[in-house]
Amino acid sequence: MRLAKELWEYREMVISLVKRDLKSRYKGSVLGFFWMFLNPLLQLAVYTVVFSTILRAGIEQFYLFLFVALVPWIFFNTCLSAGTTVIFSQQDMVKKIYFPREALPLSFTISQFINMLLSFAVIFLVVLLSGRGLHLRALAFLPLVMAAEFLLALGTVYFVSALNVYFRDLEHILGIVSMAWMYLTPVLYSLDMVPQQYVGLFYFNPMTAVIISYRKILYDGVPPHMDTLLGSLAVGAAVLLAGQAVFGRLQRHFAEEL
Amino acid sequence: MEGCKTGDEIAIQVQDVKKSFRLYYDKGHTIKDKALHRGRRQYHVSEILKGISFAVKKGEALGLVGHNGCGKSTLLKLLTRIMYPDGGSIVLNGRVSSLLELGAGFHPDMSGRENIYINASIFGLGRKEIDQRIGRIIEFSELEEFIDNPVRTYSSGMYMRLAFSVAINVNADILLIDEILAVGDVNFQAKCFRRLMEIKGAGTTIVLVSHSTAQIERICDRSIWIQDGLVKKEGSPADVHREYLDYMARQREDAMGAAQAETARDTGKDASREKQACHMHMRKSIPQDGQEKNHPVEIVSAVLKDADDKKRVVFRLGETVRLELELNALARMEEYLIEINLVRADGLFCAGCSTAEDGAACSAWLGRKRLELCFSRMELLAGNYHFDLHIAKADGGTFFFGGNIAAFEVAQREPGRGIVHLNHSWIWE
Repeated sequence: MRLAKELWEYREMVISLVKRDLKSRYKGSVLGFFWMFLNPLLQLAVYTVVFSTILRAGIEQFYLFLFVALVPWIFFNTCLSAGTTVIFSQQDMVKKIYFPREALPLSFTISQFINMLLSFAVIFLVVLLSGRGLHLRALAFLPLVMAAEFLLALGTVYFVSALNVYFRDLEHILGIVSMAWMYLTPVLYSLDMVPQQYVGLFYFNPMTAVIISYRKILYDGVPPHMDTLLGSLAVGAAVLLAGQAVFGRLQRHFAEEL
Repeated sequence: MEGCKTGDEIAIQVQDVKKSFRLYYDKGHTIKDKALHRGRRQYHVSEILKGISFAVKKGEALGLVGHNGCGKSTLLKLLTRIMYPDGGSIVLNGRVSSLLELGAGFHPDMSGRENIYINASIFGLGRKEIDQRIGRIIEFSELEEFIDNPVRTYSSGMYMRLAFSVAINVNADILLIDEILAVGDVNFQAKCFRRLMEIKGAGTTIVLVSHSTAQIERICDRSIWIQDGLVKKEGSPADVHREYLDYMARQREDAMGAAQAETARDTGKDASREKQACHMHMRKSIPQDGQEKNHPVEIVSAVLKDADDKKRVVFRLGETVRLELELNALARMEEYLIEINLVRADGLFCAGCSTAEDGAACSAWLGRKRLELCFSRMELLAGNYHFDLHIAKADGGTFFFGGNIAAFEVAQREPGRGIVHLNHSWIWE
């Protein structure tokens, strides 16, 4: 509670940092802002070529199937890997000024989240062009899925950014981890393709439920299962609280460790 | 403490605060290092603060002095809440702003105005508060024409001016400052100083860490001298600083004394060889003038003493300085004059004393001879000085020249302006 109150007092800082992050991304280069869209589109092109012409997965409109999962995955993945450096790269500030340290992971996650929202403009366009159409009854659940993913991502950034101060090679380890994590999450394939005996294990991965819900809403055009959705919200909240607790303990010695 | 008696509101209450650091000999920062080289990760615990207590009343300005590494900057970091104490408690009442880091969060590609918003928000200001202050901040920085240009186009002076303007206009209840009043040119510094006095006048509590005791004396009501992690003395800045500076001067004197004793011991060990070498050296040091080789003079000793005949290397303004020389002429010296020049460490020639000008007799001499030059009242301002010895021929040639034969320091609370202190008085008509 104390933390929430303090972060509220420092909301202007969070807002400015988010703005700075977003602005600095497109200032300085003409293409800059478009990279935000281009990057997922190019990844989409590569995966589509590989999986619908070479490794035929037999999924109808694979590009769409992939795209609605890939964009949310990129958001989470960036938080996992780039999130490590959030504290470390702003150490001058951390060592010299008081502010609630949580503001840094928070603003980083928000700015990544806004990036994802912008990419969703492209998703909506692709969905409409595909002829599948946007279903309002399904779309109503989209904010909840996004909220679940946001909680999960924020909790993860708390973890990795704090741990990276103490273990500087975490960044590199997480590069491998995030690649493995992607293949263990049904982003490139559907859960139906997983052998029955392993499906249970997949649900230990909190991203599985999130990705499945996104796909239900945008690819199948139906509301996600309520237990999947509520489950991922609960897991997201739990990860956030755990991340916050770890961050809160570790941040006491940031200034000495950096 | 004092506050409790008078019942004034306390802004900062520090109670028995302790802080230690682990100093690692070889600290690993990676998982690999931490897992594989556990044995290598030895450290010793260095206790920086050993139980400090003090209180600052609301609206009071407190100065913290102490030598490097005494813990005053650590204390300031604890007050800023960047670090947490290992023991004891710190209570701060009111919004805290610190001038420890200027320009936090500045982004080079953004305009000065945008950066003001970012920087001020990191200090904890809300949008409305920044909107209210932005005019004053820009005006204070004197960057009106450039405020919408990207910060990367600023000179470093402009950058610091902008950063300082934000920090000083935050209007905190408690302002913590660490040695940063040296921003910009003299005029801007004067302006910062005036602004600081205004802030103080408005009832802001200030804690200032500075090496310049003069700066603290101008701003602060009270001063705390921290020594080895403890409060050594607390009181009015003038009193505390007098003792502090005396202590620091003694420290330097001891250090220099020890160094001299060491050299003296070494010299004693093989005095003859040393003397030979010295002799050779002096011969060698003259060859520019070539013909003087035949009249070498040795300096046997050159010592500085005070009026009480005590050896000294640090003096204070107004004290007696006596330069005692023992010279050894290896050939009979006739028709010579002695010049001793007083030179500041940066090479500035401060004063010259000549036996010829002063009409001091210089009789012919061979072998050892003592000479004393006495300054009954040394009026030089703080700094490092040394003496050069020149034994000249009456016709202008050189018998002997020795640079830096004895060095001393003048320690003063105020650095002072100029080179010497001239006795003066003011008269209004």
